Amino acid sequence: MAIAAKFIQQLDIATPMARPEDVRELSGSQILCEALVREGVELIYGYPGGAIMPFYDALTSYPSLHHVLVRHEQAAAHAADGYARATGKVGVCVATSGPGATNLVTGLATAFMDSTPIVAITGQVARHFIGRDAFQETDILGVTQPVTKHNFQVRSTDELADVLHEAFRVARSGRPGPVLVDVPKDVMQLKASYDPGMHVTSEEYLLSGCADAPRPTPAALAKAAELISEAQRPLIMAGHGIILSNAYAELSAFAEKTAIPVITTLLGLSAFPDTHPLHLGMPGMHGPAHVNQAIGEADLIIGVGLRFDDRVTGKVDGFAPKARFIHIDIDPSEMHKVKVAAVPIIADAKVALAALTEVVRPSDKIAWLNEIRSWQMEHEAQHPVRRDDTLPDPIGILTAIREATGGEAIVISDVGQHQMWTARHYTWTRPNSHITSGGLGTMGFALPAAMGVKMGIPDAPVWVVAGDGGIQMNIQELATLQQLGLPLKIAIMNNGYLGMVRQWQQFFHARNYSETPITGPDYVKLADAYGHTGIRVTRREDVEKTIQRAMEIEGTVIIDFRIEPETNVYPMVAPGSAITSMIQESGEERA
Amino acid sequence: MPDTITPIERSGQSNSAHGAGQDHTLIALVEDRPGAVDRVVGLMRRRRSNMQTLVIGRSEQPNVVRVTVAVNDSEVAIDQLEEQLRKVVDVQHVYNITARLAVTRELALIKVNSTPEKCNAIVELAHHFGAHAVDVAPNAVTLEVTGSEEKIAKLVNALQEYGIREIARSGRVAMARGTSDA
Repeated sequence: MAIAAKFIQQLDIATPMARPEDVRELSGSQILCEALVREGVELIYGYPGGAIMPFYDALTSYPSLHHVLVRHEQAAAHAADGYARATGKVGVCVATSGPGATNLVTGLATAFMDSTPIVAITGQVARHFIGRDAFQETDILGVTQPVTKHNFQVRSTDELADVLHEAFRVARSGRPGPVLVDVPKDVMQLKASYDPGMHVTSEEYLLSGCADAPRPTPAALAKAAELISEAQRPLIMAGHGIILSNAYAELSAFAEKTAIPVITTLLGLSAFPDTHPLHLGMPGMHGPAHVNQAIGEADLIIGVGLRFDDRVTGKVDGFAPKARFIHIDIDPSEMHKVKVAAVPIIADAKVALAALTEVVRPSDKIAWLNEIRSWQMEHEAQHPVRRDDTLPDPIGILTAIREATGGEAIVISDVGQHQMWTARHYTWTRPNSHITSGGLGTMGFALPAAMGVKMGIPDAPVWVVAGDGGIQMNIQELATLQQLGLPLKIAIMNNGYLGMVRQWQQFFHARNYSETPITGPDYVKLADAYGHTGIRVTRREDVEKTIQRAMEIEGTVIIDFRIEPETNVYPMVAPGSAITSMIQESGEERA
Repeated sequence: MPDTITPIERSGQSNSAHGAGQDHTLIALVEDRPGAVDRVVGLMRRRRSNMQTLVIGRSEQPNVVRVTVAVNDSEVAIDQLEEQLRKVVDVQHVYNITARLAVTRELALIKVNSTPEKCNAIVELAHHFGAHAVDVAPNAVTLEVTGSEEKIAKLVNALQEYGIREIARSGRVAMARGTSDA
């Protein structure tokens, strides 16, 4: 109640009056469902169990809350995450206490690192059991504290609705992130009087303007415009913030007005069309050489909605050593964290880019862009991409997926070599069509996340690209797909290795392939066992027609592409090296 | 944070090790909710901050806990820590009063070996430091002293010759001088 009072005070709106006819006596679990409905929740991924049973009992009375029964709670968190990334709405997952709750942890950490808004609701043992080592009791607040934006334990049925709305508000506002709400079983069972008008939803709160991000000041904008007009070799680095703030048009307008080339980070891919003449590519450890070379030569970096992760910067001293930085981010703690910004702008990317576009002078200087393009041609001529003539090759698979879907697919990649191939060799044009676990690098993310994506954007063709290691980490979700009748297309790049680790072993551990050879099931039989269609592809010439066929088959299709076992991701920057020093394909020497 | 600043290049923005640590006093006003103080302390641990003392106590507002942390860290780490602390949902306000004029105090209880003959000398010595006896037993005297950490260290040093049995120190609390709240 105190929480509600605080919000209402801040809201500067008339204090809602309790209308006796709206007040109902409801159980905690009913209040939970009512509040979820008021938050606009339609989809919940979860798994029942002892402590959360009262919620599941109430759930059947709320048909607008569609629940998806996953096969492991980790998948519930990833599915909620995928849904949130694809739709921009808050994803919701539910688990019971103890093991159910701890199984969510990897999913929460994944969402936390990539700033995606999800709300996890966990059951907890009844209040009088808490702290007594009860059956399936875990201190989930303690466990998840470092991997959530915030977490709550609901202390009474009275405060349940307010806590839930606050959880949504925290998850959505500012830099988004995961929030966990732990609800003791007796809090769900007890009754309290409930009046929806007394509880402010996250939408009402955000619309009131109380949580608006700061706007860029005229002084900062003027300083930024000055640096931009002085710069001879400027670059825009666009990150996840563009997608989170829906700033695609603002980014394009800004880049086009200033004629500044655009780099998209791993999570910034599909924030700016790859086909745009100003687009350069992805920076960092597996970025193409010309992108990293451009960063090395740049005199101004305009970073928007990114955090200069170590996979982007490599050795920090060697990252953009000649450049000054304009850093736009909604999170003040990102300013100066890695590189000192000459102009830090703490603001929402969409607002900041629109404001900056107004104050900058138009430019059509393309000498710098032409210089970068000449490096690109040089590198591509020196290091042609080697493609296998007989086996299905990663680039061919990705090209075929793009062609078969006309670029309209949403592609969810897992983690490893295939992830880098997907990032590099798929041509991203549909906004927000690339979804992957970037910060945490969570193997097993793709399949469950794709369930969330497909349910959030049902009209889009949804492709999963995974390795033969990662796909086995949440393979149980094939049963969920079958129960839902959800059609995903799953491309497994099967090389019989944990390929990225093997590649590191090859480069940095003298080919000591310690525990990286891996076997898997017969994916055709496996698909059949789960009620899906499985196809094995062992010849390069069959790649395109199989992908075409997969698009024509209704339902989920698993394609087992047998790729060359020791194909590597090139170029590569060794960890701890400057990004301008890359390992190239030919001779595998450092350039 | 001011909108346009040009800070000097510091360790932490390069691959060089964090160094050049100095003492800072941070004050965080934290809403009194379950786990709130835990979050503040957990953040310190996760961000590898070198905590010297930590004091948790009530403030002038009901439901607000005042957390005073003495940390020894480089400037960049402190700036980061402040911003990270501000992100904790339960934290209402964070300020670093190191650079301001501030009153800082610590309280210590010191139990010293004693005999009926030495007792007066110990109490007299204590008076020079503004300390006074709060408990006198046949073989021990317990002194209470309030002041800066240096003053307490000097008293402890002076009492060494009698033999110190036990020391309890409260950790640093601090408040800016004048009427500014931060």
